[in-house]
Amino acid sequence: MVSKRFFLKRLLLLVPVLFGVATLVFAILHLSPGDPAKVIAGQRATAEQVAAVRTELGLNDPIWVQYGRYLFDIVTLNLGDSYIVRKGVPVLTILRARLPVTLELALYGQLLGILFGIPLGVLSAVKQDTITDHLTRVGALTGISVPIYWSGPLLILLFAQFLGLLPASGRIASAYDVPVYTGLITLDSLVYALSGGGFGAFQSAISHMLLPAAVIGVYSMALISRMMRSSMLEVVRQDYMRTARAKGQGAKITIMKHGFRNATIPVITVIGIQFGTLLGGAVLTETVFGIGGIGTLLVNAIEVGDYPLVQGTVLVFAFLFTLVNLGVDLTYSYLDPRIEQ
Amino acid sequence: MPRDSSVNRRSFLKAAGGAAAAATLAGCAADPDETTSGSDGGAGDGGSNATDGGDGSDGGSGGDVLTYARGNDSGTLDPQNTTSGEDVKVTNQLYDQLIMFKPGETSLRKGLATDWSLDGTTTTLTLREGVTFHNGEEFTAADVVATYNRFVNPDYEHYPGDDYTSAYGPFTLGNWIEEVTTDGEYKVTMQMTQKYAPFLRNLAMFAASILSKKAIEEKGTDLKSEPVGTGPFQFEGWDTSNQRIRLSANDDYWGDAPQVGEVVFTAVAQNSTRAQTLDSGGADIIDGIGAQASKVVSNSSNAELVEKAGINVGYMAFNMAKVEEFQDKKVRQAISYAIDTKAIVDTIYKGIAEQASQPIPSNVMGYNDDLSPYGQDLDKAQSLLEEAGYGDGFSFELATFKNPRAYNPSPIQAAQTVKSNLQEVGIEVSINQQSFNPFLDYTSAGKHDACFLGWMTDNADPDNFFYALLHPGISTDDVPDGQDYVGFDTEDFNTLNVAAWANTDYMTLVEDAQTTYDEATRKEKYNQAAQLAHDEAPWVFIDHAKELRGVANGVEGFTLAPISGPFLNLVSLN
Repeated sequence: MVSKRFFLKRLLLLVPVLFGVATLVFAILHLSPGDPAKVIAGQRATAEQVAAVRTELGLNDPIWVQYGRYLFDIVTLNLGDSYIVRKGVPVLTILRARLPVTLELALYGQLLGILFGIPLGVLSAVKQDTITDHLTRVGALTGISVPIYWSGPLLILLFAQFLGLLPASGRIASAYDVPVYTGLITLDSLVYALSGGGFGAFQSAISHMLLPAAVIGVYSMALISRMMRSSMLEVVRQDYMRTARAKGQGAKITIMKHGFRNATIPVITVIGIQFGTLLGGAVLTETVFGIGGIGTLLVNAIEVGDYPLVQGTVLVFAFLFTLVNLGVDLTYSYLDPRIEQ
Repeated sequence: MPRDSSVNRRSFLKAAGGAAAAATLAGCAADPDETTSGSDGGAGDGGSNATDGGDGSDGGSGGDVLTYARGNDSGTLDPQNTTSGEDVKVTNQLYDQLIMFKPGETSLRKGLATDWSLDGTTTTLTLREGVTFHNGEEFTAADVVATYNRFVNPDYEHYPGDDYTSAYGPFTLGNWIEEVTTDGEYKVTMQMTQKYAPFLRNLAMFAASILSKKAIEEKGTDLKSEPVGTGPFQFEGWDTSNQRIRLSANDDYWGDAPQVGEVVFTAVAQNSTRAQTLDSGGADIIDGIGAQASKVVSNSSNAELVEKAGINVGYMAFNMAKVEEFQDKKVRQAISYAIDTKAIVDTIYKGIAEQASQPIPSNVMGYNDDLSPYGQDLDKAQSLLEEAGYGDGFSFELATFKNPRAYNPSPIQAAQTVKSNLQEVGIEVSINQQSFNPFLDYTSAGKHDACFLGWMTDNADPDNFFYALLHPGISTDDVPDGQDYVGFDTEDFNTLNVAAWANTDYMTLVEDAQTTYDEATRKEKYNQAAQLAHDEAPWVFIDHAKELRGVANGVEGFTLAPISGPFLNLVSLN
C-alpha cells in the first residue's frame, strides 16, 4: 500500500530539489566568464552592436533582477528562447523535439540490459563458483569498466567499417523522411510502415538503434546481472527455499517460483535508479553516434554559451531524474511496505 | 490503514500507467513548428530506392538523395540572422547573391545581376530577368531594396531588430551604402558613403543573399525556419530531432540546375564518426575533418580526401599596447626566429596547413611571392634580443583558446611548443587557456600579453585581412608621433587588431588600397603592406590551413570551394 500522504510528501520534496538545481545552474552560468551578448553578436560586431544586444536581452540589469525574472519564468513554464543553437526558438519547443530521442535510446538500452542482465544473473547464482559463474562475473565487471567513448568507436569500426553490417551514425538513413508522431523513430517508422509507407524506414531505424542501444545496454546489463546474482544467492539460502526442496519440489520450479520472484525486489530498485544513469550515458553515446538528443544538445549549448538552452536542458534533466527516483521510491514502498515510514 | 487514505495496488498501477502515458503524449507530441516536414509523400524516390537496395546500410549510393554530413545542425536558415559558417552551407543552397563567386575560385561571376559597374561612390547593377523565388514571386529591384532595408535599416517597417540581424549587416553593407535606389524593375543603384574597393565582393558574400520582398513582409523572423530564396534548392523540411535539413531541387533554377533530386544536410558531432559514416556509405560528402579523421578518409576504399588551400590565417599576436618589450621590433623579430613554426605546422597540425609568411594566403590578390616564412634560428634570435637589451630574457603570458579551430587544430600543443622554443632564448612563457568565447572577450579588451588567433575570410579580398586585422581603425593623425601602436581604449579602435599595431606607413598603404579601383595598383600596395607586416612582425605568422572534404566514390562534379559554396547543384551521384 502507498499512502497518499507519503506520495504527496515525496512530491512536495521535488520543489526544493528543483529550486536548488535551478539556482545552481543560474549561478554557474553567470559566474563563468564570457559575455553571451558578444557570443550572439559575433566576432565582427562593433561595441555598439554588442551593447544593443545586451540591452535587448536584459543582461544589463542587476544580477538579482535577472535571477528573479529567471525564477518567475520557470514557474510559469517559460524557459526562454535559445540564443544561438536554434536562434529565437523557444527552449521548450527544442526540448520537445529532442527529448524523445534520448528517452528512446535509454529505453532500448534498459530493455537490452534487463533482457540479458536478469537471466545472466540467475544463471550465475544458480551455478555459483562454476566456470559459467566466473565468466559471467568477469564479463559484468568488464561491462561496467569499459567507457562508452571507447566501446562506441570500436563497435562502429567493427560493424560499420569492417563488416559493413550496420550504419555508423544517425537514427535513420537520410533517404527516408518519416513523419514525426511521437519522436520515437522506431515507433514512428513502424506507424509509417503500417500506414502503407513500406518497412524500409522501420528496418533502417532498427539497424541504426542497435549499436548505440547495445553500448549503453551493456553497462546496465552488467549492473543488473551483478545485483540479480547477489540477491538470488541470498534468497536461495532462505528457509522457505529449503522447505520447498524438502517437500520434494523440482529444482527449476523452486528457483523460478520461490526464489526468482523474491530476488527481483532489490533488482527493480536498481533498474529504476539505473535509468537515471542511463540518461547520463545517453549523452556520451549520442555524441559518439551522432544522434541529436538532449545530450548532444547540451554539449553544443555549453560550447557556444547558449544560456537559456543550458538552463532549460539541465532543469529538464534534473526533473526527469527526480521523477524517476520518485517512481523508484514509490515502487519500493509498494513492494515492501516497511519502507514507507 | 483506512481504505480511503490509501491507494491500493491496482489503482496505483493504473494511475502510474496513465501518468506515464500522459507524460509520453505531452512530452513527445510532434510540434509542427519544430518538425516541419514535407507534405508530399515522405520518402519519395530516394526512399523506395533505398528500400529496394535493402542492404541494411544507408541510402546515398544509387538514390538521388545527396547526404552532406557536418559537425553541427544549423541554428537558423536566414542569411541575415547568422555569422556561423555552419548555417551558411545551407543558406547558400537556398539563396543567390547579386554577384557570386566562381565555384572553387575567388573571382566573381554573374549572379542575380548580369552587369555591374563600380564608379567612384556609385555602384549600378542590371538585374537578371525571369528569375522566380521559391514562393513563385518574380525577382525584381524591389526585392533588392527590401533585402537591404531589412538588414540594416532600423526604420524599415519589417526590420527584425538589432538582436536578430547579424553583425554582417553593417560590416558588409550598412557601413558602405548610403542609399539604394531603383530605376525600373531591373536597375539598382547603390550610393556609397565613400570609395570602397572590396564592395563588389561584399555583394557576393552569403550575408548579401537576396530575399523575397513578399516573404519579408509575410514571414518576418519566421524566415529563420521557412526560407524563401532563388537558389538551386528549395526548402522541404527541418527535422530537428534527427538534426536534418531536407532540400529539393529547384527545377526552374536560372543557373546550373541540380543533378540530384534532394539534398539532406545531417549532423554528426564527432569528426571520426563522421569519417566512418562516409566510409560505410552513410554520407556522400563530409567536412570538418581533422588530422585523425583525414586518415580514416584517405584509407577508405569508398571515399577520397579532397584538399585545397583555404583562405585563412593563424598567428600569434604581440600586444604592443600592454607589453613594453614587444614595442621593440627586434624583440618581435627575435621571437619570430625563435619559434619553430615549421614544426608546429608539420608535426602538430599534421600537415593539414602550410607555413605563413604574411597576413594573406597565396590565393588572395596581393600575395607577396618574395617573402618566405621566418625559419627557426636561435642564434639570430638570441643576438637580436641582446641588441634590444633583453639578452637575459623576460616573461609573458600567452593566451590561447582550448578547442581546435580550422586555422589552429591543436592550440594547446602549439602553445607548449612556443613555450619550450622561447625557453631556449631565455623567455619564460606562461600559458593561459580559455574557451573560445571568453577568450575573445579577453583579447578584444586587450588583456592579453600575446595571444593565438586566426581569421577565416569573409569575401576573399585582401582588405579583409590587411585592414580588418592589422589596421587600428583610427586616422593616422591620431597615432602619437614616433609610436607604432595605440591603446585598446582609443576611441573607435578596431579590437580585432589584437596586436594594437598602428604603423602609419602600413595604415596609409591599406587605406589607399581600400579606395583604389585599379587592380594592379591595389596589388602593388598590398605587396608592400605584406612586406612591411612581415618585417615589422606584429604577429608571428604561423599558418594557412587547408580545406579538407571527404567525398564518396559515387559523387561526381564536386568542387571544393574555399569561399561560398558548397556548390551542390553541380554534384551528381552515380
